[in-house]
Order: sequence, then C-alpha cells, then structure tokens
Amino acid sequence: MKKTTVALLLLALAAAPALGAEKRWVVSEGTELKAEQSVSAAKVAELPVGAELTLVEGAGRWLKVQSADGKEGWVYAGRVSDTQPVAEVGGGEGLFGDSLQKSQINTAKADSARSIRGLSPEVAQYAKQRGTPEALKKELDKILSRKVSDKEVRTFLKEGKIGEYAQ
Amino acid sequence: MRTSTMSLFFALACLCSVEAHAGWQDKLQNLMNPESREGKILSGATQVVSSSQEMSYSTERTVGESLALESMQRFGKPVPNEALQKYVNLVGNAVARNSRRSTIPYQFVVLDSPVRNAFAAPGGMIFVSRGLLDVVDNEAELAAVLAHEVGHVAEKHALKSIRRAQFLQGVGTISAATMKGGDGKKFESMIGDLQSTLFDKGLDQGMEYEADLAALETAYRTGYDPAAMVSVLQKLKKLEASDSGKGSWFSTHPPLDERIARLSSRLEKYPDHASLAKVPARFAKYVKVAKKGK
Repeated sequence: MKKTTVALLLLALAAAPALGAEKRWVVSEGTELKAEQSVSAAKVAELPVGAELTLVEGAGRWLKVQSADGKEGWVYAGRVSDTQPVAEVGGGEGLFGDSLQKSQINTAKADSARSIRGLSPEVAQYAKQRGTPEALKKELDKILSRKVSDKEVRTFLKEGKIGEYAQ
Repeated sequence: MRTSTMSLFFALACLCSVEAHAGWQDKLQNLMNPESREGKILSGATQVVSSSQEMSYSTERTVGESLALESMQRFGKPVPNEALQKYVNLVGNAVARNSRRSTIPYQFVVLDSPVRNAFAAPGGMIFVSRGLLDVVDNEAELAAVLAHEVGHVAEKHALKSIRRAQFLQGVGTISAATMKGGDGKKFESMIGDLQSTLFDKGLDQGMEYEADLAALETAYRTGYDPAAMVSVLQKLKKLEASDSGKGSWFSTHPPLDERIARLSSRLEKYPDHASLAKVPARFAKYVKVAKKGK
C-alpha cells in the first residue's frame, strides 16, 4: 500500500511541470514550424489547424514551441492562440463533436461543389419560394465563386509587409 | 459541448438557488421527470443550447446565403468593380484565417449603398457598404472592420440571437426537401427575424463588445495595427450627428463613446501595436480610386 502511495506521489510530481506548461493552439491554415525566427527559415513541420503546442519560449512576434510529436521550432505568434479554435459541426451528419480535421474536409467539400452547380439546392428553393429576382441569384453566385487561395493571401501579406513578412 | 455542460450546471445552479430551503435533493430527483417544473426548466435549457449548437455548417451556410439574397434586396447589389471586390476579399481572408474560426470559407462583399454599415451573415459571408468604406482611410482600418464582422461569425452571434426561433428547435441539417411546405415557412420566418435583428435592431450589446475585442486580437495577430479599430469608430463618431440613422451602423451598434473607451483601454494589451502595418497606399490604390470613379 505504501509503495503504491509513493509511486502515485512521484507520478504526480513528475506530471506537475507538464500540467503547468503553457499551451497554444494553431488557428491558421498553412502554419509551419520554422527552424529560425523568420518566414524564410527552413520548415521543420507543417502544423494543422487545432494542433496543440507547448510553449517553450514566449516573447515577441515569434514563439518557440514544441509540437505533440516532440518537434521543436519557431512559429509566428499570429498563427496561434491561447484558446482552442472553434470546431465545426459536420456537413451531413449534424453531429456535434466531430473532429476538427474531419469537419474541415466536410466544409471544404461543401464549398468546392458550389462553383460547379451554382446556388445550393436549399438556397435555390428559398429563392424560388420568395420569388427572388434572377439578377440577384446571379450576383450571389458570383460572390460565392470568388475564391481567395492561401497562396494569394501570402503574396498579399508579403507585398504589404504585414505580419510575419514585416521587416 | 463545454457550453452545453456549463448551461446545464447553470440551470442546476438556478434551480438549487431559487428555493435553497425547500429540499434541493428533491428538486434534483425531479429533474429526471419531464413533467415536473424542474424537468421542464432543464428541458428548455437543453433545447435552447442545442438549437444553435447542433446546427451543421451546411445549414448555417444556407441560412447565411438566404439572408444574403435579402440583404441585396434591401441595400443594393455589389459594387461592380472586380478589383475592389478582390482587394476586400484579400484583406478579409487575411484576417479571417487568424480568427477563432479559420477553417470555413469566407466571402467579403462591398454593397453599392450609401448607408454606412457592415454586417455578417451566418456561415461566413460578410457585407460592407460603400458608405462605410468612404469613412475608412487605410488597410488596417478596413481589416479591423472586417475582423469585427468575422468575430460575429466565429461566435455565431446572429444564430444565438434568434436561437429561440421555431425553425431552429432541434434542427441539425436541412435539405431542399425540408425547405418546402410548413418547414419552408418557418425557415422564411426565421430569415425575417434575422433581417430585423441585423438590419434594424442590431445584435446584443455584449456581442458587439465581444466582436470588438475579437477584432483587436485578430487584426493584431495578422499584423495590422489594432488601434485602427478605434480610429474608425472615432471617425464614425464625428459623422454621427449628421447621419440619418436608419439602418446604419449607428442604429444597429452600441454607443460609440463606450466602445471607443473600452477598446482604447484594451490597446494596452498590445504595447507594440503602433509599429504594425497600416498600409494606406495600397488601400488608396484600390478603394480611393473606386470612390473617385463614382
């Protein structure tokens, strides 16, 4: 009995620093773990949205972090948060509690299908019931087909010397 | 999930505190009986929570796109300037991907309306009027306004404000088939409620303050000076007296003085903010040119 108690105490002591470690979560798509504090530094790993990180050294616009699989590197502070990102509810299942990764796929599917078929059947049905003018349906279709890629956003930020691209 | 658990605890706490002397153990036992007073309160609490939280993304998006059709009926079509629309989409997506809800698709639209306003439809479609763009002077200010609206989408404020709507009770996912008949009418009624909330009455003040703080954080994370949110509000304050009010930012948002004061004190959290990007030249290239063309 005594041995068990001692073992439990040791376990608790060992776990204490880990419990005290500050956590961060990746909030931006396309986030990379870098070898140095620079956007042009070598990539150590890609970090998916929702990935949990442990803060190793936190100061300024770049943070030294450790990923769940033990890789250490630097991440731009703007790409992480001290609260978890919002998880989506899956497309067809309607189940709360889907994993973030799975829900991202569902969301992406819902979006990519749109440019092929125009308005979704549900919105088309709504427009029909309301007698929405054809011109406005076309405008909505145009809005939905206007896509901005991650690469375009990066180029845009770089040109404006914004965030991780600031000198 | 955490919120629903908290709500249940809150409901339990309310039940326990209302009549603390009347045998709370009995009240807890009554929770299991749906016909008891306590059971009905608990059932109501869970229904309200589930009505907004169990909605699938595709359903939320359908709500948003239907509302978008109504917003164009009311405020006018998008400004027919593709370069401007693309620019606003780039600024908006730059901040949205650093928001608390970065994985959904976002679209940003400039509507050809002189009424100064911006609003967010559920699911990620965000509208800003030509009139509001006239007030903005640099990219950081535009980013702050868009980040404020992204904050509403991230926190699902519009849906939460109407979560008691009949249509939302127990709805997870809708389809074109369920949009017909009685359910279709309920859906239309819900879109009507949303229009009234977003275009006339405005969201709850607490939600507006929450979106303001989210805007500061999101703009800062992206690399824009978050003080731009304060400068936009100060400019709007100067225009407030001469604005007709109806359907504008002034009639649908909390008092500007209070917002400016809250945000100004919050800037202390970002000591290096003044060194961050404002980008007036690029903003002028896309937006000021479009203004001159009007």
